[in-house]
Amino acid sequence: MYKKLQSYFRLAGAYTVVGFKANLEYRGAFLSQMIAMFLNDSVWLVFWIIFFTRFPILKGWNVNDVITLWAVSAAGFGMAHACFGNAISLAGLITRGQLDNWLIYPRALLPHLLLGKVTATEWGDILFGYSAYLLLVHPSLSDFALFVFLTFAVAVLFLGFSILSGSLAFWLGNAENVCDQWRFAMITFSTYPASLFDGQAKLFLYTIIPAGFCSYFPVQALKENSLLYASYSMLGALAVFVLGVVAFYIGLRRYESGNMLEMRS
Amino acid sequence: MNAVELDQLKKTFQVKQGSGFKRSSKEIVAVDGISLTVPAGQSVAFIGPNGAGKSTTIKMLTGILRPSSGSASVLGFNPWDQRSKLAFQMGVVFGQRSQLWYHLPPRDTFELLAKVYELPPADYKIRRDMLIERFKLSSFLNTPVRKLSLGQRMRAEIAASLLHKPKLVFLDEPTIGLDVIARQELRDLICEWNRDEGVTVFLTSHDAGDIESVAERVIVINHGQVVLDGSVGEMRRDYLSAKLLTVAFHDRPASFDVNGAKIIERTDHSCKLELDTSVSPVSVVVPQIMQLGEVADITIEDPPLEDVIAHIYSSKHSPQQRY
Repeated sequence: MYKKLQSYFRLAGAYTVVGFKANLEYRGAFLSQMIAMFLNDSVWLVFWIIFFTRFPILKGWNVNDVITLWAVSAAGFGMAHACFGNAISLAGLITRGQLDNWLIYPRALLPHLLLGKVTATEWGDILFGYSAYLLLVHPSLSDFALFVFLTFAVAVLFLGFSILSGSLAFWLGNAENVCDQWRFAMITFSTYPASLFDGQAKLFLYTIIPAGFCSYFPVQALKENSLLYASYSMLGALAVFVLGVVAFYIGLRRYESGNMLEMRS
Repeated sequence: MNAVELDQLKKTFQVKQGSGFKRSSKEIVAVDGISLTVPAGQSVAFIGPNGAGKSTTIKMLTGILRPSSGSASVLGFNPWDQRSKLAFQMGVVFGQRSQLWYHLPPRDTFELLAKVYELPPADYKIRRDMLIERFKLSSFLNTPVRKLSLGQRMRAEIAASLLHKPKLVFLDEPTIGLDVIARQELRDLICEWNRDEGVTVFLTSHDAGDIESVAERVIVINHGQVVLDGSVGEMRRDYLSAKLLTVAFHDRPASFDVNGAKIIERTDHSCKLELDTSVSPVSVVVPQIMQLGEVADITIEDPPLEDVIAHIYSSKHSPQQRY
């Protein structure tokens, strides 16, 4: 078991190196995508900061809470997809029969497939998340340690959700748009204060669009220095992740392959 | 020992038909109860027209697809339940899909594959260097794949598929799009590997030349069923002896009558002949054609595989003839 795990870590390292090399063949494009994502996140944060100078409290949330929310969700999303870039394009890979490329190798399909792409823009998200939290919130060391843990939890949540939404393609066929919309909804709800939503909307945030595990528990955990809230966040993320993995492997039995011409890039 | 054993392997797909709300589901049979065995070390050409079920069969044998019914054993493994174990011992090349990274040199993909197949570093280096030498990769090993010619790319593809010393290699149209020289180089390499390392080769191709050069046995499938299973020698004798000659003349040619050549199309300045090379070889017929008038152009082609298969159907061969 330990040897197997070690081998997968080596494989992850090799894929990350190769993925970076492939991206750095076009350094300008790689850097500009990363910077563009950093700026995109920053613009939203500036908008919120301007909002809070006018209305200092929004349903119990202050500007620091929203910065924390953006930092944890951006960093988590980036960590989920920077080295597991194929998670975002899973629906398309299934629809176009491109899982064939990974099925011919002697590795567990899902981790191997997810590792197959390094995405430039997501490094911009990670950079933004960590720098926004460090530069604007000025956390203590223990807060920062908790923040790191929470970004991992949110990364697990987003990765699991991308797998779950992408796996829909096994049942719906050409489902890229539906999967994208579902994922966009998750991203949108993950960047708004959870306190804005009440009643049935709250139910949605912990079931169909499980953004609550990113927009509520992590912020509360950092606000109250609570390991309990942090563990809720991780448990919710793990539940979504397990659901995604189960859906993928059940769906895989319906996989129909394809005959598209392609190259790996 | 058999490298491949198939017993009544069948694969069906559900296809939606119609439009709007009037849609119905129809079952399409892609592979219809194929049974065959391939001894270890044999090179087999698995041929058939588009949509015959070749790729679907290969995908089941490599564990990519699950069959609807029937069983298969590849190198002693059930391909879809023991996919990972089988993958350590098999190599796959899809002519239409690349396992090389497009923006990186082949060397980087080799390094990555060494990790994927868990090759010990020392063994990997020996094997890589040997493949570089045998496949003559050294001149472009550090050139990004996007800048390689198709022939160079396919040589690198096949070398990549042999990196982990597979016992069985599936080659799905490996010569597609290659020029005559690159095609022949690749065929020679495949033959060499089959001969020297005893690798079982399972080849699909639409090119009669690939089949003649590489395979010792040919299996023809159509509509998901085996319609012919025999040696390449038999097939060459029975079905691949025909050549199509298209000749264009500057002036109206003299009348022409050669034993074994049949005119299938004729205009004032050109004619198309079907030549039975077992009766009159090309080397005999072409000089005679040159004497008919001033030749502007001449092309010699194999008949389309579809025609060969149609010929097989019309012949007296019974389906599922065993090798």
